[in-house]
Amino acid sequence: MRVMRSEWTKLRTLSSTGWLIAGAVVATIAVSATAVFAVDTSHCPTPAECFEDTVRLSLGGIRFGQVVVVVLAVLAVSGEYATGTIRATLTANPRRLTVLAGKAVVLAATVAGAGALGVLGSLLAGRMILPGNGFNEANGYAPLSLMDGPTLRASVGSVLYLVLIALLALGLALVIRDTAGTITTVFALLFVAPVVGLLVTDPEWRERLDQLTPMTAGLSVQATIGTDTMPIGPWPGLGVLAAYTAAALLAGGLLFTRRDQ
Amino acid sequence: MTSTVTPYRSRVDGARAGFARLARAEWTKFVTVPRWMITVGAAVLLSVLVSGLVSTGMGENTSDDGGGGPPPVSADPLEPFQDRGHFVGLPRSGDVDLIARVDSQTGGGDWAKAGLMIRGATEPGSLYAAIAVTPGNGVVLRSGTDVDIAGSGAGAPTWLRLTRSGDKITALESADGVSWTGVGTVELDGLGDDVLAGLFVAAPDEVVVTRQFGTESISGNTAYTTAAFDDVTVSGTGTSDWIEREHPSGPAAQDDTTGYTVSGGVYTVTGSGDLGPDMFSPDSTRMVLNTTLIGLCAMIALAVLFITAEYRRGMIRTTFMVSPSRTRVLLAKTAVIGTVGFATGLVSALGSFLAAKAGTDGLALPDLFAWPVVRAIVGSGVLLAAAAILALALGSLIRRSAIAIAVALLALLVPQMVASGLPLAAANWLERLSPAAGFAIQQTVPRYDTAIGPEAGIAVLCAYAAVATGFALWSLKRRDA
Repeated sequence: MRVMRSEWTKLRTLSSTGWLIAGAVVATIAVSATAVFAVDTSHCPTPAECFEDTVRLSLGGIRFGQVVVVVLAVLAVSGEYATGTIRATLTANPRRLTVLAGKAVVLAATVAGAGALGVLGSLLAGRMILPGNGFNEANGYAPLSLMDGPTLRASVGSVLYLVLIALLALGLALVIRDTAGTITTVFALLFVAPVVGLLVTDPEWRERLDQLTPMTAGLSVQATIGTDTMPIGPWPGLGVLAAYTAAALLAGGLLFTRRDQ
Repeated sequence: MTSTVTPYRSRVDGARAGFARLARAEWTKFVTVPRWMITVGAAVLLSVLVSGLVSTGMGENTSDDGGGGPPPVSADPLEPFQDRGHFVGLPRSGDVDLIARVDSQTGGGDWAKAGLMIRGATEPGSLYAAIAVTPGNGVVLRSGTDVDIAGSGAGAPTWLRLTRSGDKITALESADGVSWTGVGTVELDGLGDDVLAGLFVAAPDEVVVTRQFGTESISGNTAYTTAAFDDVTVSGTGTSDWIEREHPSGPAAQDDTTGYTVSGGVYTVTGSGDLGPDMFSPDSTRMVLNTTLIGLCAMIALAVLFITAEYRRGMIRTTFMVSPSRTRVLLAKTAVIGTVGFATGLVSALGSFLAAKAGTDGLALPDLFAWPVVRAIVGSGVLLAAAAILALALGSLIRRSAIAIAVALLALLVPQMVASGLPLAAANWLERLSPAAGFAIQQTVPRYDTAIGPEAGIAVLCAYAAVATGFALWSLKRRDA
């Protein structure tokens, strides 16, 4: 408990944390709103045959918000190594796994809070903008509502997605211990892997890659339409990302307890 | 008595160090950090390995969009060409004079073609010369993959004529069938004595954007054109058995909408598929060069660190003490990181291409020394250099590695991040206006979905890098180190 409190104080009192959290929320909502704004039914065969996944579209900003979340998570660890604070931290709390757990819980809670704000704001933006672009009840699109099962699942799943991404970055930061290296590695894993995966044209391998790429698989939790034709279902997809996160945390934790400082 | 002490004077030359020495100092700072050099090497190696590994799995499935059906007609992947459409002709030996009037033409868009063709054989890719009238672009003469001569702006009805003497084929057009105007002459080396001479129609696929299930797809839909010919005369020696050669667009196109009928001297021909550049063929070189993204990420991180690490460690004060002109210091850093970036991009692109070429089974990769490939590979060097310079400038402006790296990667990867689900028009504008436009330099084939040309694209990225460097220079002079 006291470890968590000290970790919370460390995170809270950094001026960059506040900016990053605000940035994550604003970026998520702004990108979501822009995406929703840009899409209309003009290219659909008919507005009703668009099969637009309005929920997924409205939550598009999560792709952007995760960038800020990664920076926040990496800095929470590598910042301590860069400044040497880690020595003071470990002197005060020699049990390293407790320190790691404290960090993970505080980070997860912070990201979950920011993510919830971002998701709610994005849904609100979608609810306000979508009907004007042809996605209205006349064309068979109900207004976005958290009372709807799949919408709720997509929203909660998006928050969980951000938390898992943050913990993945945290784990990798403990392995690499360097701000620049960790951020670049996480970004490469998230954004470059799908692009390089485009090289694979064999449909079977392609599907396997889509199932195993962390961002593609994890974000499938946002889908509310056509979930049976996706390479991986919503919850199993998030599970794949969770497996990556668990592996990163395990490796990070193991190295954290074995290495100096 | 007082002894006089000679005051100490440094024997170092008072003149300012030249730019070359400054650049050398910065060069030393970069290459003597082992983990940076290891990162560069590892990134290059990784991109080459991935290209080599993945390309062995590539093959027949690459042309899943549009086209389909028979294999590409042109063997050169840099000049994808399709020889489709509907042709009906008579076998002729020796010289031929082929005249017909295109009475009417409907459907198929502005580039639908109806006209006359002399070809060596029915097989796709055989020698041919064709003159056609189009609804929107007047009369055209086509031959091979490169001859494309425009005639008058006339549309149907109009008279067309092809005459063969030896290897020479002359194309003419006329409004009344009496006074003829030459459109052009082509020479088909190696055209045998026996040829086929007759009528043909062709129509390029219609590019359609459809939005369904949250993504927009752009595809080529088969377009049909129908033309009626009358006053058809095919002089020369040969039989009068009409030979039909239909090569429609796409595998599903063989249905009753295409056809050929004769009644009262009027030949009505319907067909699909184009005679001309194939805009739907895969850009295999670009796909292979995608792996330079790995090197790009590494270069961005290193370029940012190249300046932020100096701020972290206080090294920047020493640097500025030694050479107080901050402009020159940043320019020296720019020169060094640009050189490293260029070398990294060049080596990883060249390696990726060669690895893919060595391991490829079914994917057709063009010759290494063809200009578009050279441009793509050297351009990858420029791409990484410009990206690194942009990242360095951002690092100098922001001074914090984490934020600067995130911003630089964001700028270059933004299409990958948001493109999914965005309308194609918006995504295309993003590809034109964001720094990611620089990736266009890796294109080797013009395609239906090309957002920006190669040179223009890299120019956009270079402009971003130049503006950012300008801002960095301006702010560097005004802020404390």
